[in-house]
Amino acid sequence: MQHFALTIIGRDRPGIVSGTAEILYHLGCNIADSSSTILGGQFAMILILSHPEIDDLATIRQAFTELEEQGLSVFVRALKPGGEKRPQLPGEQCMISVYGSDKPGIVYRVAKKLSDHNINIVDLNTTLAGSEQRPIYVMMCESVLPQDMDSDDLKALMDKLSSEISVDITVRTITPVEL
Amino acid sequence: MAVREVRIYPDPILKQVCTPAEVGGAETTAIITDLVDTMVDAGHSVGMAAPQIGILKRVAVVDVSHSKLGKKHNHGLLTMVNPEIIEASGSKVMREGCMSVPDYTGNVERAREITVQFSDADGSERVVRCKGFEAVAIQHELDHLDGLLFLDRVSNPKADIFRRKG
Repeated sequence: MQHFALTIIGRDRPGIVSGTAEILYHLGCNIADSSSTILGGQFAMILILSHPEIDDLATIRQAFTELEEQGLSVFVRALKPGGEKRPQLPGEQCMISVYGSDKPGIVYRVAKKLSDHNINIVDLNTTLAGSEQRPIYVMMCESVLPQDMDSDDLKALMDKLSSEISVDITVRTITPVEL
Repeated sequence: MAVREVRIYPDPILKQVCTPAEVGGAETTAIITDLVDTMVDAGHSVGMAAPQIGILKRVAVVDVSHSKLGKKHNHGLLTMVNPEIIEASGSKVMREGCMSVPDYTGNVERAREITVQFSDADGSERVVRCKGFEAVAIQHELDHLDGLLFLDRVSNPKADIFRRKG
């Protein structure tokens, strides 16, 4: 079955999800995996789609013309075989909270440190909080550690980085518990 | 004594409310045995409730003593017949998963400390105060007795992040 990645972003208003879902329903597309959220004043949707018959991009794109005319940006691409499958990441899962006075480079320095140690970011949210006079930057980063590393190793790395860039960083394990 | 098949959602039995079990009865004893056998067979499982093996009776077992998270505070194997949480305080968010809902996990807020009252396998009355992972596991299993899955309690992760304590 051909899979597609669809992203939609535009000024938030009621009806973006229903407009999108209606088009997908009429096309006969399955929504295999999706995440949508409001960022600033924009609503952003990211979806992995599949269709039992349609395998050309043009058909999918064509169906969204009307939505684009309503001011939404729509982007579709076809996935290579296997691109829809979530990789099995067996390592420990950690949530990294990063926050401090807003300054350039917070996301870069944290992400660089993680990638240098082969730590995989699987979910990332950042936002500007606090007052206009005293903005604070908040970054919540969910990561999967390589198997030869545990949360104490990550804590040590982040403690060092915390003093280097003067932001607060805490690490806690969030590996799911099966009950 | 038997390892039973673990029921997987959308099996409708998982959404039903269980009826009280007969305290000290032979049927109840058999349910407890099967729950423990099935839980142990599942390897890393720390709890099992009767509906998960297809029985609509208010019986659940929990044992977090073999789990890293439960090492510090636990009561070993708890075999709970007609359990009731009589007191709950504090809150704790854990990312939960469930054998009856494979391949999905979600953040769930539970009480950090609970007092649970139940009849034990031999029919004796017990009141146990639990905290941490053991308390979370008990709340998760007891939800099964009311037809609730952790999916019914998943909280919005973003709301958790920015919500003020207090």
